[in-house]
Formats: sequence, C-alpha cells, structure tokens
Amino acid sequence: MMADNILNERSKRPGLVRLPTGIPGLDDMIEGGLPFPSVVLVSGTAGTGKTTFSLKYLCEGAKRGEQGLYFTTLSEPTQWMLRYASQFDFINKDYFGDSIVYMDLGNLMREVDANQLLATMEEKIAEVVPQRIVIDPITVIGGMLKGDYRLFLFDLFNRLKNWNATTLVTGEVNPGELYPPEVSYAVDGIILLQLSEEAGTRRKYLEVLKMRGTNHLTGRQSIDITRTEGIVVLKARF
Amino acid sequence: MNDRDIDQMKCILDALDKAGLKGTILFDVPSTQFVKVNLMLLRGLCMERGLPGMFISVDRPHQYMVHLLTMHQIKADRLIYIDAISRFSADCKVAAANVGFVDGPFHIDRLPEAMSKWGESSNGRSMSFSDCEFAIIDNLSALLTYNNFNSVELFLKNFVTAVEVSGKIRVPLIIDSEKYGLLYETAKKMCKGELHINSVAPPLAPGAEPTPKNITSINFCRR
Repeated sequence: MMADNILNERSKRPGLVRLPTGIPGLDDMIEGGLPFPSVVLVSGTAGTGKTTFSLKYLCEGAKRGEQGLYFTTLSEPTQWMLRYASQFDFINKDYFGDSIVYMDLGNLMREVDANQLLATMEEKIAEVVPQRIVIDPITVIGGMLKGDYRLFLFDLFNRLKNWNATTLVTGEVNPGELYPPEVSYAVDGIILLQLSEEAGTRRKYLEVLKMRGTNHLTGRQSIDITRTEGIVVLKARF
Repeated sequence: MNDRDIDQMKCILDALDKAGLKGTILFDVPSTQFVKVNLMLLRGLCMERGLPGMFISVDRPHQYMVHLLTMHQIKADRLIYIDAISRFSADCKVAAANVGFVDGPFHIDRLPEAMSKWGESSNGRSMSFSDCEFAIIDNLSALLTYNNFNSVELFLKNFVTAVEVSGKIRVPLIIDSEKYGLLYETAKKMCKGELHINSVAPPLAPGAEPTPKNITSINFCRR
C-alpha cells in the first residue's frame, strides 16, 4: 500500500526540464538535454571543440525561440569569432545580436574586482533575460581576477541558477588533466572533450562525467567535428 | 525587454481586457519562458495598468525579480512580495522591496496565512491581499519539488477560492502543459480562461492576422 502511494506520487512529479544541446547523439545520452536551470562545465585541452560545442548549444536554443547570451573572456570581437564559426553550416549569422547576444569580458576582467565583474555580468543577464548562457572560457578569469576566484565562482554559479538559465562554462586544461578542479566542485554537470593518440592518429572523445539528476550514459564516446553539424557523437550505445 | 516582448505584452493585456475577466486565468507557457512571461505581465499590470499586486516567489529568491524589474525600468511601487524560498537558500543577494517571508516552500499550507498577514510584517507599509488586484505565483509547478501533488492541489483550490471571493483579483496562473500535464489539467478545471504562449511564433495561415505574436490561442470559457 505504501509502495503504491510512493509510485503514485512519483508518477505525478515530472522530471527535470531539459534543454537539448542539438549535438547529435549527446541528448540521448543525458535524458534529452541539459537540466534547466543548471551550470555545466565543458572541459578539454585546446582544439577539442569546446567553443564549437557552445555555439551549437546557443544556435539550437535560438532555433527553439530561446534567448542566448555568450560571454567571452578572450577580448575577441564578434566578427572575429564569427569568421571562424561561419564555417559551420549550423551557424545562422542572423541569430547574433538578436537571439544570441555577445559580450566581451576580456578588458573588464583586467580593470575590476570580483564583485564588480559579477555585478556587470548580472546586469547583462537581467537585460537580456537568456535561457542559455555560455562563458567561454571561464578558466581565463582565474588568472586575471582581482580577488578570491573560488568565492567568485561560488557566487556566480549560485546566481546563474537563480537567473533561470542553463549555463555552459568551458574550461581549458593542460594535456593529461581532466577538468579544472576549482570549477568542477561547484557545477551540476561535467562533460569532457578529449584528444587521444591511438595508432599514430589523434582521436576525439566525449564523456559525460557528471550530470546531476540525470541517468546518463557513462564511458568515452567517439566524436567527430563536421562542417554540417559541428560535434557529432559517433558511438553512443543506447 | 525588446520591441517584440512589448508587443507580446500588449497582446496579452488586450486579450485579458477584452475578455473582461477577473479571477484565475491559465497561461500555458514553456518552462524556459516563465521568467520572461512574468516580466511581461508585471510590466503590463504594474506599469501600463498601474495595479497593486502580489508576487509570490517559490522557485527562487524574490531579489531576482526585483533586480529584473529595476534593470528593465519597470516601476512596481505597489507590488508586494511573499518569499517562500529565500530563507531556505544560501543566497545573500540583497534588494529593496516590500517583502514578507514564509519559512520554506515545504510549508505551502502556511502561504495563505502569510498572504493575509503580510501587512503586519511589512514595516508599516501596509497593503493586504485584499488590496491587491493581481497575484502571480513564480511558479506553481516548483511546489511539486517540495510537496506532494495532493497538497499542491489543495493549496491551489484554496487560493482560487480566495481570489474569487475577493472578486477583483486577476491571477495569471503560469504552467507548462507539456511538462506538467497533470497539474495543468487540474488547474484548468478551476480557471476561467486559458491562454497559450509559444516560444516560437507559429507560421501564419494564409490571410491570418499577424498578431498576437506567439499566442496560438486564447480561450475564455466562463464557468
């Protein structure tokens, strides 16, 4: 009887709201998409596809009528980023400036302290009201920020969830490292993008290491990066 | 808010005005758009119509909505907040607002009491539930995280009854029909009307009018 009641109640409680990433194969690995709201770390060494992952995530949102906000920490102007991104078929330039708002934090990070940076980011979030946010890469902030980086990350991630958005933060790591530990402790999910040298060639892999509230597929999955779709998961076993 | 949002807000207000309804109106909105629709409603009801109202936070601390309203230059002097989540979270964000607190979202049975007693704990800026002309819950489905379905249903029933007794309060009740189907259907039986808002404007049929944008249907069925 008690078991029946529990099952009955569970059936009335829906699962988490999810935002599809649009990355073929990945959404099936994580019950349909990233939990909303949440903060997810996409970690990898240079050239593993972190920015491509982020752009696909934002473009998928724009296609679905969701607002995106892209914070870059690289002092890179929009046109420079778009120059490379436009090589992908999934990029629709019309999204940028409208459904995807781009903000450069590069110069600001050198001038202000952690509280001011947080306040500026929150002002932009409140102005744009995004459902999807990207901070690419977040690890650059740690090297430049005046103040306590860990405390900044704790406050930032806590507030990002309350702004009702799913945020992707990308983290650059050195070869051999999996993820930046100072970021990983505070996020709800970790997706690893890895390069591995096998039989003289470098192969690319994706692994969902952690995804709170999600029964996710574990283990490394081969990926490819194509001009048509960006990242594609090749060997997901469902 | 951009021009598109303001157009949509006007469409929603016009639809509500044309229907001339007070009481509870069900809004079918995708979960990801709750914040934006709340923002549009508050702009419309507080600024365009100048109505006093109540905003009940059960999903995230009220400070975020205060911040949003400030950023979007939405004057909401006559808006009071009941916050059922702040004291439950570790968030230390601050904001100046007329706010009363409830211990936590687990205690929705105490929400009606908190609403009626708000004036007593509001530092002398008295305005009670009976003075309100609208009430928004942000958001009803979040209560399912902390309470069983029957408790939420009972709360909703009591809330709708209180609204109808007052005779002058509008309640846009925002639920995602796709994600929270059972709650939506339960609420639908208690509401006077129904309005569907999509994330993406559907393609226009030949000869169809281009507005209201993103609103697929407005269905008011007086009970």
